Amino acid sequence: MAEIKTAQFQSASGAAIKDPILRRALTQVGGGFSEARLDAIDEVGEDVWESWREEARRIKIHALDNLDYYLELLHDRVTQAGGHVHFARDATQANEIVSRIANSRGVKIATKSKSMVSEELDLNKTLEANGVEVYETDLGEYIIQLAEETPSHLVAPALHKTKEQVSELFHEKLGVPLTDDIEEMARVARVTLRDKFLQADLGISGANFLVAETGTLVIITNEGNGRLCTSAPRIHIGITGMEKVIPSLQDLAVFLRLLPRSATGQRLTSYVSMVTGPRRSDDEDGPEEFHLVLVDNGRSRLLADPDLRESLYCIRCGACLNICPVYGKIGGHAYGWVYPGPIGAIVSPTLVGLGQAKDLPQASSLCGACREVCPIKINIPRMLLHLRHKLVESPDESERAASTAEKIAANGYAWLMSNQTMLSAAKKVGRLAQMPFVSDGKVSRAPLPLVSKWTAARDLPALPKRTFREIWEHELEGQGEQQREARNRDNDTGQNGNQS
Amino acid sequence: MTNQVETSLGIPRDEFLAHVRRSLGRGPDVLHPDVSNPVLQETLAQMESRAEEARRRLEAERESLVDRFAETAQLRNWNLFRTGSSEDAVSYIVEVAQAHSGGQVARSDQSALTDLPLDDALESLGIRSVLVKRGDERTQESLRQQVVESGVGVTGADFGVAETGSVVVLPRQGLSRLVSLVPPVHVAVVRPQDVVGSLDDVFLFRRVEYHRNGGEMGSYVNFITGPSRTADIEMKLVVGVHGPREVHLVLLG
Repeated sequence: MAEIKTAQFQSASGAAIKDPILRRALTQVGGGFSEARLDAIDEVGEDVWESWREEARRIKIHALDNLDYYLELLHDRVTQAGGHVHFARDATQANEIVSRIANSRGVKIATKSKSMVSEELDLNKTLEANGVEVYETDLGEYIIQLAEETPSHLVAPALHKTKEQVSELFHEKLGVPLTDDIEEMARVARVTLRDKFLQADLGISGANFLVAETGTLVIITNEGNGRLCTSAPRIHIGITGMEKVIPSLQDLAVFLRLLPRSATGQRLTSYVSMVTGPRRSDDEDGPEEFHLVLVDNGRSRLLADPDLRESLYCIRCGACLNICPVYGKIGGHAYGWVYPGPIGAIVSPTLVGLGQAKDLPQASSLCGACREVCPIKINIPRMLLHLRHKLVESPDESERAASTAEKIAANGYAWLMSNQTMLSAAKKVGRLAQMPFVSDGKVSRAPLPLVSKWTAARDLPALPKRTFREIWEHELEGQGEQQREARNRDNDTGQNGNQS
Repeated sequence: MTNQVETSLGIPRDEFLAHVRRSLGRGPDVLHPDVSNPVLQETLAQMESRAEEARRRLEAERESLVDRFAETAQLRNWNLFRTGSSEDAVSYIVEVAQAHSGGQVARSDQSALTDLPLDDALESLGIRSVLVKRGDERTQESLRQQVVESGVGVTGADFGVAETGSVVVLPRQGLSRLVSLVPPVHVAVVRPQDVVGSLDDVFLFRRVEYHRNGGEMGSYVNFITGPSRTADIEMKLVVGVHGPREVHLVLLG
């Protein structure tokens, strides 16, 4: 499984927020994708968009609630088409399956199209350890493979890299001259990888959707590498999470409408490729073998928790990343595992263990933008709250996050806020106690342990001389009364009739 | 090294499904309850009648449908050439071939193409036209090499989709997966009668095909919507990465 660094969220996000290159890239991507998405929605109209979202959600609810049935149907139909289906409980097993297929068939070179699940499994490392040369062929994935990094966005894995960095990387690893021409960089990737495609024995792809009815794997791509991976080598392995299954071929249309528009604002990607089994005997070309590896790796835990099940409806469009004010500041790597952003803050803690990712559900202002943009209307804020609840109340101590000091503070706060006399007294004490630290109406450095954490990065507004309640008591009380009376008089005389 | 194909690696299917069932809150031995999905319960006859209805609807609006397809395709960056004349279509393809083929064109074996006197027109200008179809001495390996050496790939289309501006090709005998993919320029020849309205139409027709043939609709479906592209470096659009950088749509009517 991919290295888990979710526990370092605080330090990683702290570092990310100070990285000017990353900030620039994040503004470009978030803004660019979000605007394009809005244009695409405008074109079809809000009502139509809404009806698509409803339909897609209905299909996903049904598919996941009956996942056993559809997985069985999928298995039977893939097998009927001459393919092989393998079930993997966890990352180790999934990697073993792919390695065994590769080794038993003498595979030397494998080309891969983009697959987040293979990132999750850290499949490349296992294959390489088994003597297989693996080439990522999506341009963004190829860049991060050369740089030995991990993706920082679901759709644009190398968004954190500038063209200068890419140019230096290609220069260093591929021996090509430095350039600031992005087209030239794409050409270098095309030429380098074209040979690999033609030499590869094995093509590995993920899947955006699996159609149970016909046993079909569907991938959605723009560059053409996905088509090459599933067409040129003599073996094709599709590897993906078990939640990707949808019932019928007819259900696919609405997802093809939603996914590209939500991801990049495209009306449709350049390519949609649908694979049903290996080549048939009279086909001109195509893989002789087709394998589908279906991975659980913790997904059944999401399935089993009625409060988290809807996270499995995710189609990995990245819209919630692009809109998220937290992702927009810290980028993908800070989340510490494969799936970043709001949806990642739900999926990662459950897949790697909440005890290892206690900060992720907190990495949200709960503003709800993610839910608003989600093409499947996934209620991400609700699930983040659910995980936060678990962090406090979980019977499993390793999952609990709140420190004793925080708990005492929270309980004290609750007690104080429900006790008017003590609250007024506390305000008076507070006003005196804060005096040495106040300047310009703000506390910029507080000495208390919890409050100092807050003021390390931002100011705390000072307690005002008078609270609203105090102003009310002394100056405004009774005025409301007078206004009401005045209104009643007006109503009686028929004036301002509707403005109560 | 063994060539034996293991039917299933990993954990046995039934064990995996039992675990999924448990996770869904049902007993491991309880088979799925009656899954009532009206789409899947549809009979072939019902599907066929819907498909028939769809065909009639498409026929009735053929003209505006083809216009709409042409319009959307241009928005998706196809270079559109629309003509009712085979001669003009051939001249256009020949022009593209002269500009880009480097002396060799790969083409698939589809009726939309065999109806055009394309090969002769190309050969007369000294451009080799390679029919990508296996035969006595034409092995998959040698054909693949010839596709790689071709500057232009010419295919027909099984569908044109007005909703998306897509050309759909269904690889099979006579239609290599690589002709529309490997050469840097792709020319797709679409007949007006093959234009459908929406993605739903395509999937309905494929579904009918699948069930009518006892669970067979071919190994691959390819939607092609404009040129290959990427924006993976600094969100700057680059056209032509692994697939064709230039795509031409010849619409016959």
